[in-house]
Amino acid sequence: MTRLNINQWLALVLALFAAAYLAMAWQIPTFPLPRPIDSDLFPKVLGVSLLLLAVLLYFEKPDVIAGSDQIDEEATQGPLLFTPWARVVVTALAIAVYALLLVPLGFVLASTLLCVGLTAYYGYRRHGINLATSLGVVLALYLTMTRVMDVYLPTGVLPF
Amino acid sequence: MDALNNLMYGFGIALEPINIAYVFAGVFAGTIIGMLPGLGPISALALMIPITFAMEPSSGLILMAGVYYGAIFGGSTSSILLNAPGVAGTVATSFDGYPMAKQGLAGKALAIAAYASFIGGTVSIIFLMLVAPLLSKVAVSFGPAEYFALMVLGLTAVVSLSDKSLVKGLIAAVIGIMISIVGIDLQTGTERFTLGSMHLLDGIDFLVVALGIFALAEVFYMLLRGGGGKEPKRNVIGSLKLSGSEVKQIAGPISRSSILGFFTGVLPGAGATIGSFLGYSMEKRLAKDGDTFGKGNIKGVAAPEAANNAACTGSFVPLLTLGVPGSGTTAVLLGALLVMGVTPGPMMLEQRPDVFWGVIASMYIGNIFLLVLNLPLIPLIAKILDLPRPLLLSLILIFCMIGVYGMSFSVFDLMLLLGFGLMGLGMRLFGFPAAPLILALILGNIMEESMRRALQISGGDWMIFVEKPISLSLLLIALLSLTLPLLKKRRKRPVT
Repeated sequence: MTRLNINQWLALVLALFAAAYLAMAWQIPTFPLPRPIDSDLFPKVLGVSLLLLAVLLYFEKPDVIAGSDQIDEEATQGPLLFTPWARVVVTALAIAVYALLLVPLGFVLASTLLCVGLTAYYGYRRHGINLATSLGVVLALYLTMTRVMDVYLPTGVLPF
Repeated sequence: MDALNNLMYGFGIALEPINIAYVFAGVFAGTIIGMLPGLGPISALALMIPITFAMEPSSGLILMAGVYYGAIFGGSTSSILLNAPGVAGTVATSFDGYPMAKQGLAGKALAIAAYASFIGGTVSIIFLMLVAPLLSKVAVSFGPAEYFALMVLGLTAVVSLSDKSLVKGLIAAVIGIMISIVGIDLQTGTERFTLGSMHLLDGIDFLVVALGIFALAEVFYMLLRGGGGKEPKRNVIGSLKLSGSEVKQIAGPISRSSILGFFTGVLPGAGATIGSFLGYSMEKRLAKDGDTFGKGNIKGVAAPEAANNAACTGSFVPLLTLGVPGSGTTAVLLGALLVMGVTPGPMMLEQRPDVFWGVIASMYIGNIFLLVLNLPLIPLIAKILDLPRPLLLSLILIFCMIGVYGMSFSVFDLMLLLGFGLMGLGMRLFGFPAAPLILALILGNIMEESMRRALQISGGDWMIFVEKPISLSLLLIALLSLTLPLLKKRRKRPVT
């Protein structure tokens, strides 16, 4: 059996997605009054189009993965936690944790922690400058949004 | 005479102190963001949406227009100084700009870029002023069938020019439309693809997708390329002064490329990148010293810079007159306008002349700011490139978060932002262009509405789209825009 290339894998994933999308499109209820075109038609057209495009993609010759030549090779040799892909995963997790802690901790504290923590994790070693810049920018943003633009941001554990 | 009166009216708005401040702030912020490698005008504009949200629409658009051409101009700075174009539209500038910088002529290259941008921008504003009202008059006669066809054309044009793979471009566009129709169908009140979540009833906010797909995905991509990595070597700026003979040399290329750039920008799907490459290759062909292009020829900096700024202004023509953006960047602008409660289109000239003429007048002022303020500040602004990359990446993340949360106050949207960021990274790695997705996201709802209205008028007869001559022509051009690149590719393929 021949191995699937990257386009074929992508095509299969997209085809599965299109099938699920079409299944949902068929469950859209029809409008009680008869009309020439209902809410479900456009989604059905989209689902079928994606399915057809997935088939075309399956037979398309794959290109080199964009930017794969630019991945930081030096970093891939280092500790697992600091490899390029680990950086992406850790950043994504940090964003998710930030989203969950934003309201209980407050914007200033959560954002400063995120900014200082990630900057240090990305390899910046001048911690004083890191803290001062992060806190300065976050505070400036917070004051601009809350005092100038009247946009509410959570205060959390801090009194302001 | 009408145009002149209207322009005066526009200046009345643009010269209000607050709007002058916005033009300056926009141009300045755009220049800085455009300078940062990887962050283009789309990211810059997306980051600005939360700021403009509470503004008067005319002020908001004035700020965003400033950010747009500021970002294009800023991109040329990193192209020249670092050979790292912050914006795709300034890639061609680096061909001769960077060799000039290596020869210690960075100041001269930056000055040429500033003058060329200024002239390119100003010439094209005059064209915009003349062409836009005429086109608006034609567009008033458009019905839903013509609008649907026009949107199809806008999408196919962007798809056909955005990437090597047409199929991947189309897939991105289809997914963009799919995202746009999530939520309650306004015509029937039916829920679509909400997966039972009340957070999705209002649909997915455009800003969440734009910031995720562009800004957050860019951060992830930079991390893969070694975000904490080494800082590039800086060059000495040198003198900014140009001699008389140098001015003579660049006068021709600047004027030709300004006109070429404007008309390239008007075409849906083209824009600054194609404009700048066309300008560069035209001058290379016309020049007697064409063989020195790529080695630090000043005409090689002047031509693409004039063309890309002119194309930026040109791209406002379809946006303001037809309400249909011709590029990813103007799609983000359209999204911002809709957020502010302004619907661009043929009626905009009548209903919101303050926005239309205010923006046009502000472009003149913005271009002057670009020249008189940015030029002397360039050596200072260039210091921003010294900002440590790890700190920069973290700050972009914070900007994205505050942008989304400040608008929706929803933690769910922050999670969605993360999801779209990862999706954007995947699209980038696997070669799916982001511009068609964002354009489709903006056009999706309007496209469906136009299609349904047209079919309601025709009693469900699909022939309405081909019976009307304008609609038929637009659909045929759309089909051509998809098939021509395929035919070209086939012709280029070597016979084995």
